[in-house]
Amino acid sequence: MLIANNLTKKYGEKIALNNLNLHIQTGEVFALLGQNGAGKTTTINCFLGFIKPTSGDVSINGVSVVESSSDTKRYIAYIPETVMLYPNLTGVENLAFFSSLAGFKYSKEELSSFLTKAGLQESAHHQSIKSYSKGMRQKVGIAIAVAKKAMALLLDEPTSGLDPKASNEFSEILKELSINGTSILMATHDIFRAKEVAHRIGIMKEGNLVSVIEAKNISANELEQLYLQTV
Amino acid sequence: MIVLLIKNFIRSKGFLVGLAILFISGMIGLNIGKQFLDKNRDIIEKTAHFQKENIHRYVQYMDKEMGLLLYYVRFGLVNETPNIVGLSIGQRDINPSLHSVTIRNLEEQKYTTDLMNPMYQLIGNMDLSFVIIYFFPLIIISFGFNLVSEEKEEGTWSLVLSQTSNPQKMLRLKVGIRYISILFILFLLLIIAKFYLSIPFDIYLITYILTAFLYVSFWFSLVWLVISFHKSSSQNALILLTSWITLTIIVPALMNALVIQLYPIPEAFSTVLESRDGYHTQWDKAKEPTIEKFHQLYPQLAHFQHPKNKDFSWLWYYAMQQMGDETAIESSKILKEKIRKRENLSKTLALLIPTIHTQLTMNAVCSSDMANYLKFVEALEEFHKQKRMFFYPKIFSDTPVSSENWDNFNLEYFKNQPFINLYMVLLPYIITTILCLLWANINFGRKKYTL
Amino acid sequence: MKIQVVRIIAKQVRKNTIKNRSTRWLIGIFNVLLFFALISGFYSYSHQHQTVEHYSHEVREKWEKNPDKHPHRMAHYGYVVFRQKHPLSFFDFGMDSYVGNAVFLEAHKQNTVNFSQASLSNGLLRFGEISVGMLLQLLLPLLIFFWGFGLITEERQHGTLRILLTQDVSWQELIIGKSVGLFCLSLMVYLPCFILAFILLLLDTSIYNHIEVITRFLILVISYLSYFFILSLLAVYVSSQSKSSKASLISLIGFWLFFALILPKVSQVAGKNLFVSPSKIEFDTVVEQELIKQGDSHDPNDPHFKKIKDSLLKAYHVDSTHKLPFNYGGYIMREGERLSAETYQKHQIKLIEVYKKQQNLIKLTAPLNPLIAIKNISMSLSGTDYVAYHDFQNQVETYRYHLAQTMNELQMKYISNKVKNSADKGARISKKHWEEFPDFKAQFLPLSVVISHEIVSFLSLISWILVFWILVKYSGKHLKAF
Repeated sequence: MLIANNLTKKYGEKIALNNLNLHIQTGEVFALLGQNGAGKTTTINCFLGFIKPTSGDVSINGVSVVESSSDTKRYIAYIPETVMLYPNLTGVENLAFFSSLAGFKYSKEELSSFLTKAGLQESAHHQSIKSYSKGMRQKVGIAIAVAKKAMALLLDEPTSGLDPKASNEFSEILKELSINGTSILMATHDIFRAKEVAHRIGIMKEGNLVSVIEAKNISANELEQLYLQTV
Repeated sequence: MIVLLIKNFIRSKGFLVGLAILFISGMIGLNIGKQFLDKNRDIIEKTAHFQKENIHRYVQYMDKEMGLLLYYVRFGLVNETPNIVGLSIGQRDINPSLHSVTIRNLEEQKYTTDLMNPMYQLIGNMDLSFVIIYFFPLIIISFGFNLVSEEKEEGTWSLVLSQTSNPQKMLRLKVGIRYISILFILFLLLIIAKFYLSIPFDIYLITYILTAFLYVSFWFSLVWLVISFHKSSSQNALILLTSWITLTIIVPALMNALVIQLYPIPEAFSTVLESRDGYHTQWDKAKEPTIEKFHQLYPQLAHFQHPKNKDFSWLWYYAMQQMGDETAIESSKILKEKIRKRENLSKTLALLIPTIHTQLTMNAVCSSDMANYLKFVEALEEFHKQKRMFFYPKIFSDTPVSSENWDNFNLEYFKNQPFINLYMVLLPYIITTILCLLWANINFGRKKYTL
Repeated sequence: MKIQVVRIIAKQVRKNTIKNRSTRWLIGIFNVLLFFALISGFYSYSHQHQTVEHYSHEVREKWEKNPDKHPHRMAHYGYVVFRQKHPLSFFDFGMDSYVGNAVFLEAHKQNTVNFSQASLSNGLLRFGEISVGMLLQLLLPLLIFFWGFGLITEERQHGTLRILLTQDVSWQELIIGKSVGLFCLSLMVYLPCFILAFILLLLDTSIYNHIEVITRFLILVISYLSYFFILSLLAVYVSSQSKSSKASLISLIGFWLFFALILPKVSQVAGKNLFVSPSKIEFDTVVEQELIKQGDSHDPNDPHFKKIKDSLLKAYHVDSTHKLPFNYGGYIMREGERLSAETYQKHQIKLIEVYKKQQNLIKLTAPLNPLIAIKNISMSLSGTDYVAYHDFQNQVETYRYHLAQTMNELQMKYISNKVKNSADKGARISKKHWEEFPDFKAQFLPLSVVISHEIVSFLSLISWILVFWILVKYSGKHLKAF
């Protein structure tokens, strides 16, 4: 589904990604761990078509992102680390707007149900974004991603800033999505969440994907040890 | 999507403030225009009244000699002030719209100015043209400078890019909404103007409306071009503000300095001296050559002769007066030529500069530019000649004052119908706007991987 | 306040801003613009000066060359005066382009001063003129705001502000330091121009009173420096109060628009509505109506002058005006000239009062608007404000009156009572009298008068500095470090 082939990105002399090879199946959840600057966000941006690789290829559902990034857009949904929305609109209006950008037109009820499913309480649906906390905005972001009904979901630090309860709810949503066939690539610092949600876990260091492990083969503690050793 | 974009725009703080500023200053501009028209009308009415009164009074006092009477009597010619002048006052507050002249030496009379406070002239009138040329671009800039950069700086851009492969559509809708809102205010002001100032719906008003519309469109295209470079909000604001200052202050001032340098007018001073001397020196000379020259000018008056051995005759007096004008005729012509050349050069150079082009076009269409005043001065010269030709035979033949029906001499009007070359008016806007849009298109096309 | 700290911060501002290529470009461009404005202004001033000298000489020559004739003819031949601009007018054009340059002086009539630069040009002039004054008053503030809007907001955004404050730098030291740095930076833009202007003034041979002109110039320079310091303080202060750089920039642009466009225009509109000035036709008619009551002095038998005639006859014990020991016609004309001039002056003073009230409304916004304060000071010191022009008008009218009355007195003395009118060949006096009548020499206002008219503006500049001093002193409590 999500394939990176010898993906390399250089900024002048600096190597951001070094021959990255990644293959994420349909319905698979892949967690990408690593220090700041290891290349996690760069990888995600390559899949999103925000960055042009120096060499190598990135493809989604068999379509190369480099050659036709506009086509691949409809296959992916994205939740950035900090979900920023339009402060003058309400939660429902923001969801409606971003969905319409993607070509989807939903009724008010459908929009509300997306928000509720993402964990946003009903009373907040029609309030202006200005009053939302970070967690609430994150949930709108989730709703936007879900409403796009995309094949792949790209997440950048999705649980940073979320309290444990919200984090948990988020994990449940991810599991549900993956069961329904969505491929998920998640860049995160949260070793615990990674172990909980992902099928496979990759550790990046200085642009290299150093190790890839099956989540069921390792415990959380062992994962933490491995992580600290690697980076 | 468009509904939500509109909601987003309307709920933002700047929107109402910006449109309110435009509307309020536009209304103030219209009010100033109306006041100007009213004051003008008042002056004309008063002049008409005083002219009648004056003639009546002088006729009573100087009932013996028509020559003496006509030394004092003034006839007024009005440069008609169509109501559209209220939209663009132009040169009308510097050059008078009315000249009251005697049949004596015209050169001495035609440059008199009205009474004006020079500080006000320095600050300039805030008529509707001023609001359109100066304020509208500022609000357009404030509405559009951060169209793209605010998405980036507020953090919504990445989400937008991930949702659609064509963010262009959203940007176009955004700018379109702002364009429509500004046009709405513009047309609202113009409609109010039409009724408030009672302007007839003729080719001049239509040209004015078109000019205003294209000028606003040009500024939107410029803003569109600048934001297509995807720079930050602060950078965009600075670039656009610099453009505004360059187009509204620096370039026009430089152009003015250039035009004045290329066509200096020392003739202004020399005409004064020439005409004065042309008249006064005759007093010290023999009368015959003066009268001879006068007869050559007007052969139809050749049968009037200066009575021999008399010190003074009205024929000689008015002949001398006319000599003053004749002496200065060359300088006067050159003076007008130079002013005309200045006007033409400005108009040509202005084809490249939308701000100047707009101001000059608006002035031309509202009959308040220099060309209109020059035509008025020419009409004045004709008017003066016509009065002289009417009265000369009567004066020289000592026709009694009472034989003339003095009630017939009312204020006369000069009406100017400026010719509007619509292509020359519209072309500069169309070219500059298209250039901006094309360049912006290239820019937007290039930025595929933008974050 | 630790001076050392202020100096360090000031230096840092200068260094950091100069590093930007755009800064060096801007300094360069502004210097070029200022030099261009200075030199072209000076050139056109010199050219104008020469032209006026040339034509004034011509007028004088023609006056003196007039042959023997009746003095009343000379009174009607009159004089033409061309306005000489002040030597400093090349610096700030002020109202120069809107006031007339040539006036014809003759008996019985007060003509307008015609041929203003504006009356000979088209719509371009209304956009403004490139003079040093305009550049310094209008555009330099934008430059200072451009360099200054981020001076504190960026420190805040980058987090360095917290570090500075914990290094025992107080808010006062920070703001003053940044302002001084910004001010010194701006010096690079206009100091060369001031120096060049000074040199041009020293070398200008047309100046009669170098000391006075140089003194004016120095006061001008000090005023401008105060103005720029005020602007630097404003920029940095707004930066310290703003949440983000963008907000700071927009506020400062808003200030500029308010100072440069909105406040002047609004006060102009208010002035026009509050103080209505008459048109020429109204003015002339009112004066004329009064003059008619006084009678026509050209006609010695005019019934209005009967009283004077009778008293004269009585006083000299004669029964007919022909027997008076002086020319009766001349006497009456002298009376007439005096009365008409008085009447005209009376109404003229009222008119000027209205203009002054209108202008004061704008001038009095100086405490709110440093741009108007410096504009007023600049115009008045350059001799291009209304006070200077009005003084010129007064001098011209005084000369005209003197000319007419001198001719009348000559007539009284030398023309016999038996002459019928001025065309009579016997009614002539020697042309030596023309040479005896002095030429018109305009005087510029003394410096003390100029300053006294602009006290409000000077005080405004001082009070702006004081206000900022107070604001900065008490600023520490309200400002945010992050």
